Formats: sequence, structure tokens, C-alpha cells
Amino acid sequence: MNLAQQIINGIVLGHAFALIAIGWTVLLGVARLVNFGHGQMYMLGAFITWFAMSAWGLPYLVAIPLAMSVGVGVGYLMQRTMLNLTIRQDLVSVMIVTLGFGYVIEGAAALTFGSTGQILDTPLSLMDIYIGDIWFTWQDIAIVVVTILVFIALKYVIENSPVGRRVRMVAEDPKLAQLAGINIKRVYLGVFAFEGATVALAAAMVAPRTPILTSMGFEEVIITFVVVVLGGIGSVTGSYLAGLGLGLFTAFFGAYVSSAYATAAMFVVLIAVLVLRPGGMTQKMGGH
Amino acid sequence: MTGAQSPVLEVRNLTADYNGNRALTIDHLALHEQELLGVVGANGAGKSTLVGAILNWSRGAPRVSGEVILDGEDLSRMDTPSRVKKGLLLIPESQLIFHSMSVAENLAHHASAADAAGRHVYSLDDIYDLFPNLANRRGHLGGQLSGGERQMLGIARALRLAPRVLLLDEPSIGLAPKLVLTVLRTIRQLADNGLTVLLIEQNVKAAVEVVDRMALLERGRVLAEGAAAEMRDDPRIAEAYLGGHAT
Amino acid sequence: MTASRLRPFVLPVTAIALLALPWLLGGANVVFSACVIIAIFAVMSYGLDVIVSDLGEVSLAHPVFFASGAYTTSIASSRYGLDPASTLVLTVVVVLALAAAIAFVTLKLREFVFSLVTYAVSVVAMTVAANWAFLGGSDGVTGIPAFEFAGFRALTDRQLWPLAWGLLVVVLYLVSAFRKSRLGHAAMTVHLNPALARMSGISPEIVRMKVFLVSAPITASAGWLYAYQRAYISADVLTPYFLILMLTAVVLVGRRILLAPLIGVAIVVTQERFLSYGAYVDRIILGTLLILALSFLPRGLYGLVVDALSMLRRKKSRPLDERQEV
Repeated sequence: MNLAQQIINGIVLGHAFALIAIGWTVLLGVARLVNFGHGQMYMLGAFITWFAMSAWGLPYLVAIPLAMSVGVGVGYLMQRTMLNLTIRQDLVSVMIVTLGFGYVIEGAAALTFGSTGQILDTPLSLMDIYIGDIWFTWQDIAIVVVTILVFIALKYVIENSPVGRRVRMVAEDPKLAQLAGINIKRVYLGVFAFEGATVALAAAMVAPRTPILTSMGFEEVIITFVVVVLGGIGSVTGSYLAGLGLGLFTAFFGAYVSSAYATAAMFVVLIAVLVLRPGGMTQKMGGH
Repeated sequence: MTGAQSPVLEVRNLTADYNGNRALTIDHLALHEQELLGVVGANGAGKSTLVGAILNWSRGAPRVSGEVILDGEDLSRMDTPSRVKKGLLLIPESQLIFHSMSVAENLAHHASAADAAGRHVYSLDDIYDLFPNLANRRGHLGGQLSGGERQMLGIARALRLAPRVLLLDEPSIGLAPKLVLTVLRTIRQLADNGLTVLLIEQNVKAAVEVVDRMALLERGRVLAEGAAAEMRDDPRIAEAYLGGHAT
Repeated sequence: MTASRLRPFVLPVTAIALLALPWLLGGANVVFSACVIIAIFAVMSYGLDVIVSDLGEVSLAHPVFFASGAYTTSIASSRYGLDPASTLVLTVVVVLALAAAIAFVTLKLREFVFSLVTYAVSVVAMTVAANWAFLGGSDGVTGIPAFEFAGFRALTDRQLWPLAWGLLVVVLYLVSAFRKSRLGHAAMTVHLNPALARMSGISPEIVRMKVFLVSAPITASAGWLYAYQRAYISADVLTPYFLILMLTAVVLVGRRILLAPLIGVAIVVTQERFLSYGAYVDRIILGTLLILALSFLPRGLYGLVVDALSMLRRKKSRPLDERQEV
């Protein structure tokens, strides 16, 4: 395993992490919501993409928007169910409800797709690129490009568009936002639908890298936690950098220490961050 | 002004309860075209509850019932944002601006032409003419503003949303005496320019100088109501608010 | 008068009736098996109940306490031949150390940040359990001997039932004693009014730490008995099922009602054992229960029943014209 290969792996992995976490960045940082069913939504997006391509023979570029629309539907349904909890800002209940949704999604996916592992091959993931002894695929390049585009678009929309402004108003003070004539229910529903769409996009892009299993959601969400927390809750740029850093960390840890304990190592990073700056976390979170 | 023409905003049988305790009982209250109505009363008299109830809005969770009629249209079944879009604009007592946004961003959010339905949407130029201070600080974050500037920005934000009626909840609270006058004069000027305004004010002495009419609230009920000049001489007001506190 | 005089007898009579229940229900092996599992999972849930209902935080690390009980017991009994009393003591020691470590790290974290970290603890514990050879890795721990102590031997669920029942009764007693204790009151104060707690000289951090140390061994003791019941322990004890089950049990029936988690677990396990639609559909049912309970029944099934009863009563007693307003 040479160094350059690990750097490439880390960069691709980092962009994958950032893309997976982007829905959470908006959810937690911008709208002060949580979704513990994120990992299962990722799993669902991967399986919908796989199913659309292998069972229905749809092209990859059609399967992606299909998975994203299912994500939108699931996100909308989740938020619709717990809208009252969200409006009361009862985050603890929101968290448990989303955990319940994750469990339901996993059961439904296992029922529909079976519990055996599958391989999601895309036209891009089958095209290898060799430079010297460095290897990657066109899928890897696509992940990096899509992630960068999504982050740029998101940053622009949040900071400069009326929609982004509305979301930020609701995030800072939902009550005051109502007095500005903003329908906060619609914003909350929209944010969850967005989260559903982006995590499905991430799944369609990233899942071809590894075998997919209906039980993979439980662990997947840890990566998201760490990226969002490390990036400084809510910061779009921060999430991108955190994803990248974590990707490199994971690639090197996996290559030189142990790939089985990569998640555990990430968790240690999370704890370190939380313990080193607990004030910053609680201060930012406590308000709502 | 308070003649036979139908009122702009009318409130009937408005009640609010907190955990079964009645905090507000307003049988009838009306605001007329271009009128500046002051609502005064002691702490806990139900002033904030009143303006909140008119918009079906509160930071707590009271149970509100009653009729709110704007230009003959019954808004009672509407939620807060819909009432806002009809032109009821409340500037709450505290937390009245978005602290994490710049002044310019606070002001960027404005009513669409469709929602404004013919009402005047103050342009940014209008706003900066009216509040030159805000023009100077447009790049600053809301959280960096002084108390007086926050009030100005709070009012300015509301103006961008095409108010039919402006409801202000104690804009003078916590301000230096000199600023109180400035704020109240600004509000008077808005009324003179054609807005209908409901002003909640604890500083009766200052309020009586600018309002057209005044209502005295006590334990959630309107105890007395009348033209500002009459109310100034009303013993209940003179005694409680003007009498001993000569400055 | 008579009601208050009868009161001291209510609990013992209920407890005895509970012990006789499997026989009353026909005494089939499946009934004993379900009852043992209900008792074990209820004990597991009571540990979490104390954290959620009294302390007001949601710990998602409790499956780890359950698993640590199960692993400690299975390893100590199968590899080192320890008897059940020793494995119970060892379980408590191990879980206290673990709980202290987790509580210490999360001491300053609140609300969902706390939950987020404890959730991460669960996930990490699962990857560790599946990979660490000492814990049997993905094969798990086998060869756990039958429960045998002081001449009492329990191999089947029928034989284990008095034991499971006994553990449940002890835990019910512990939880109700906790709620009456000074620590229990302090926990409620911290939960409902942290500012008041500080003013009355209660340190929220210390209370949290103590409540954690009370709660974790309760959940772990369920893992202890589970090891003997299953005779095989693997990383499966850390799957989300246990977490979702615990949470559902705690919120389904109602908060701070002593028997609520037991009834919650009984509802879920009864469905899974006797009205099952297959493992995947059962998962959907369990998750849906959790979602519905929290989204639409803020006071649980108990609140629903109370509301329905009072509504019926009001309809009967109220004159017609007043009914219109309701």
C-alpha cells in the first residue's frame, strides 16, 4: 500500500463522507433538527438505485433521481408524522421517533429486498483508471465532482437565496419567523425532504464502493455525526473540510492500523472533540 | 377619526388561557383608519397576551379563542403566518430581530406583491430614509446592535412586510429616556403617514403624548378607553401612572 | 379507608399472581419461554426507564450495559467456571466501571448531544464485539453452563421462570425505592428545574453520575440472566432491536408509572411470540409503535385510557348546552 494510493483513497472517502453528511449539516446546523434514521435512509437510497438498475434495467442516470424522489417522500412522511414534536422543539422525542423510523425502514427494506448483501455496480464504477500503481474508478471521480458541486450550490442557496434565508430565520427563531409570515411547517417539511433527497443521492453515488446490506444503516450514521460535529455544527464549509479530514484519517487508519476498528477510531475522534470543546457544543445546541 | 366608518381591526370576545387560568378577556376593541391606539396597564395586565392573541401567536402556549376581524374579514381561523400575510404585523417585546443575520439580511425578507395585495411595501430606500442609523449599520449583525437600533430594525422589518396594522409590544422597554422619545415619535410619524397602529406601552406618561386614543388594561380586561386627552385626566390613570411619578 | 388499609397487600398479591401467571395461562413451554423473556427484557428496560423518566435524558448506551452483563457472565462462566452469584457480582463490577466511564465522558452533554454520543457508544460496542477475539468475535461465546447455584439448577425456561420472576420483583422494588429516595427526588429536580436544583445545593453532574450508576447494573442484571437463558451470546445482543425495544417499553404505556415498562415489554413480546408476521414485519410493527407513541400519545397508552374515561364521564354528566363548547 503506497502513500499516494492512500491519499487518493482518503480524498475520495472524504468527499463521500461529506456528501453523506450534507443532509445532516442542513438539518442540525441550519434547522436545528436531528434524524437518527439517516443511516437507514442511506441504505434505502442504495437499494432503490440497485433495484431500479438490476430489476427494472433502468440506466444509472434514471435510477439516481428515482432514489432521490423516494428519499424526498420518506423525509416528508417522517417530518409530517412528527411535526408537532418539531414545532415544540422537543428534540429528544424527534430523535427517538427518527430512530423508530430507521428501524421501520430497515424492516421494510429487508422485507422487500431480502437480507443478503448486494453489489451496486454502475457504468462508472466498472471503469478503472491506473496511473502508475495508483488505482481508482470513474465513480470515485464522480463522487468528488458531485460533492463539490452540491456543496457549492448548497452554500450559495443558504447564504444568498430567499429560500436559504427563510430556513435560517426558522432555525434561529421559529416563533419570530412566524411573525415574518413564514410558514414554519412548510420549512420543516422542506428541510426533511431535502435531507431525504441528498442522502439518497449520496447513497447512489457512494454505495457502489462497498457491498450493500439492509443492516448497514446503524453504523453509517456515526460517520455523519462525526462529520457534522467536527465541522462545527451547521457550517457547510466546515462539514466539507471535516469530511475530507475524516476520509484521510480513515484511509490511513484502515491501511496502517486496522480497518475493522475504523468506526471505533472515528468515535474516539468524536469524543475527543466533544470533550475538548463541550462548551462550544452545548452553547450552540442549547438554545433551541 | 373614530366616527361612523367601520374599524380597520376589530376584536370580539377574545380570551386567552394559560393552563386553565384566564389571562385575557376582551369583549370588544376596535382600531380605526390611521389611528394610533395606546394600550397601557401594569405588569401582568395582559398587554402582551392581547397583541399575541390578535395574531394567535405566543412564545408560551395559551389557548386563544375569539374573533379577530381585519377590514371586515374574519381571521379567527387563520394561523399566525396567514394573519401576517393579511397585514397584521407584530413586533414582539424581546427577540424582535434575527441576531445571526446582518441588518441588510433582516430587511431583505419582504412581502411579495401578491401577499401585499395593494398595501404599501416599504422599499429599502424608504427604510433607510426613515432610519438613517440602520443604513450606516447595514453590514452589522443583528446581535451587534444597541437596544434602540434593534427596535428600529424590528419596526423596519415589519414595514417590509406591508403592514395594514402595526402592533408594537413595549418598544420603549429598556431604552434610555431620550431614545424612548425618538422611538415613540417615529411611531407617531408612521401613523401620520397613514398606518394604523396599536402600541403597548408601560410608560404611560410618554405614551399619552403621542397616541390618539388610549385603553387601560387591568387583569386582562379593558377598564377604560377614550381619547388621549380624556384619558390623561381619568383618575384611574392619573392616580396609578401619572400622579406620584412626576419627573 | 379500606382502600388504604389494603394498600400494603396490593404489591405482594400482584407479585404472587405474576409468579403463578404462566401456569394460569395453561403452562405450555412457549408461555414459560415468553414470560421469562418478558421478565428479562422488562428488567433491561427498567434501567433505561430510570434515566428517561426520572433524569429526563435519553441514553442510547443501555444496550451496551445489557451486553456487558451478557458477555461478562458468558465469558466468566464458560471459560473460568464461575457460579451465577460470582458472575452477577462480576457483572455489576464491570458495568459500574463502564457506566462510570461513559457518564464521565458525557457529564456535560445535554439532550440530543448526549443521546448522540451514547448512540455512538452502542455502535462502536457492536463493532468491537464483532471483531475482538476476547469477546469471541463474530462467533460469539458458546458453552455457557446451566444456571446452577446452591442446589438449584435451571436449564429450561420453565425452571428459569421463578428466577426471572424473582429478578423482576427485586428490580421493581429497587425502582420504586429509588423514586422515593433522596437521589430519586434530586433526579426529578434536576430534570424539571436544573436552576432550582443548583440553588438547593444539588449538583446536576453528581446526580447524573449516581443515577447512571444505579441504572446500569439494573440493565446489566438482565444481561446476566439472558446469558444463562440463551446459553450463547454474540454481537447480536447489540443489534438495534434491544435499543428500540427498550425505548418503546419506556414510552409506550406512560412515564413514571412503575409497571409501565413491564406492560410495554409484555405487549411487544406477546405480539412477537404469538401474533408474529415474520421477523421483518415485526420490526415494522415495533418501530411503528415507537413512532406513534411519541408522535401522538405524549402521555402514552395510560394517558389515552385516562382521557377516554374522563371524556365518557363528562359526556354523561354534562348538560347538553355545555357539551357544545367542549
